[in-house]
Amino acid sequence: MRPVGYMGIHSIIPPYMLEEIAKRGKPHQRDWALRNLALAGFIRGQRFALGILPSMAPVGHKSRTVYDCKHNDGEPPAGTLVRKEGDPPSKDIAVNEAYDGAGSTYDLYDDIYERNSIDNRGMSLVSFVHYDVNYDNAFWDGSEMVYGDGDGEIFDRFTKCIDVIGHELTHGVTQYEANLAYSNQPGALNESMSDVFGSLVKQRTLKQTAAKADWLIGAGLLMPNIHGKALRSMKAPGTAYDDPVLGKDPQPATMKDYVHTTSDNGGVHINSGIPNHAFYLAAMKIGGNTWTKAGKIWYIALRDRLRSRSNFAGAASATISVAKDLYGNGSKEMKAIRNAWKAVGVI
Amino acid sequence: MRVSFERSGGFAGITMKRAVDEKDLAPDEVQKLHQLVEEADFFNLPDKIIPRSPQPDRFQYELSLEKSGRRHKVTVSEEALPEKLIPLIKWLMEKVRQARKGKESP
Repeated sequence: MRPVGYMGIHSIIPPYMLEEIAKRGKPHQRDWALRNLALAGFIRGQRFALGILPSMAPVGHKSRTVYDCKHNDGEPPAGTLVRKEGDPPSKDIAVNEAYDGAGSTYDLYDDIYERNSIDNRGMSLVSFVHYDVNYDNAFWDGSEMVYGDGDGEIFDRFTKCIDVIGHELTHGVTQYEANLAYSNQPGALNESMSDVFGSLVKQRTLKQTAAKADWLIGAGLLMPNIHGKALRSMKAPGTAYDDPVLGKDPQPATMKDYVHTTSDNGGVHINSGIPNHAFYLAAMKIGGNTWTKAGKIWYIALRDRLRSRSNFAGAASATISVAKDLYGNGSKEMKAIRNAWKAVGVI
Repeated sequence: MRVSFERSGGFAGITMKRAVDEKDLAPDEVQKLHQLVEEADFFNLPDKIIPRSPQPDRFQYELSLEKSGRRHKVTVSEEALPEKLIPLIKWLMEKVRQARKGKESP
């Protein structure tokens, strides 16, 4: 936890330093610097970008690297390369989990949705494990995944769950597509998209139909002494944990219980329960392997229909219209999705 | 001095809270808290230190402080934390952990 406010009010890293990093840093540092320059509007349309953009050239095939932070923090994270594409497994389970989970996520997007990696331009998948000390979190920093080992009291290591890995990488997909704003309803939709495709990575890896899946997010991430089976439940939001120390899972399943708060960027990890549950209801009604139909509909909505400010109602109309285009007006799929959004009170 | 602290968000979305009143602290702890608040230049921090595009799944911290009749509340994203505020946040997170372990009354 030694962050810098490069985009915030305190601009600690000035653009010229970012440019230096973009020119001379290691590949992941260059990507990070480029992204922050782009976000700050420094390279848009400037010649400067032309000389360094080839460093982000697509590889066009699955290309994973895993770095070990060795419990150091820092932004961007730094570490030692411990496994790259094609290398044999490491002795370190977190390294292998990050590698395999990134692979399964890449495969879902590639095999089923014909998407060429996170950016659809063949971007390589970079993971950092063992970030910081007792770090009880995982995140997508805009160009790479970062995993903590957990605090060992409440949380186990964050690479443990393949749906967590799919969740983080999907934040990357969302960033390159709808780019849903990370607050309030658009933020909760952003979170829900990550839970949906995180769950689909898990379901496809386990070869589970909608009926067989547990629809839990982060099952096994809580330590055994904590009263809870997971962090979220798409099947029954609000029931994943109920613990004397942690409290109760705060997720609502329907709009009636929507939580208005300023915490968590407007409750993005709380109100995601509503679109999560809509997806679950639609998937159960459609049946079979969820990634083939419901997943495809959600993916196309995310890729082509949703915008940065889309809210839940926007997601409802987008998914209904994609279902209509793919499966026909009045089709079983279209009805299932409309009824699901009605059931959670969005329409 | 009284501090209310909350960490929300993160992948898990589990909110952790703790209120600390200097009345309940040992003298060396009181001194430490005053020093951390001083070093953070807390009363001169902006109300909101949140990037235009927050990074997904990062923590969000909220600190409310009352000191000699002055009040100030700061909401800050993990990835935008000013360096000088980090020691205070770490100290408060330690207080959250202590309360959780039941080593002292919350």
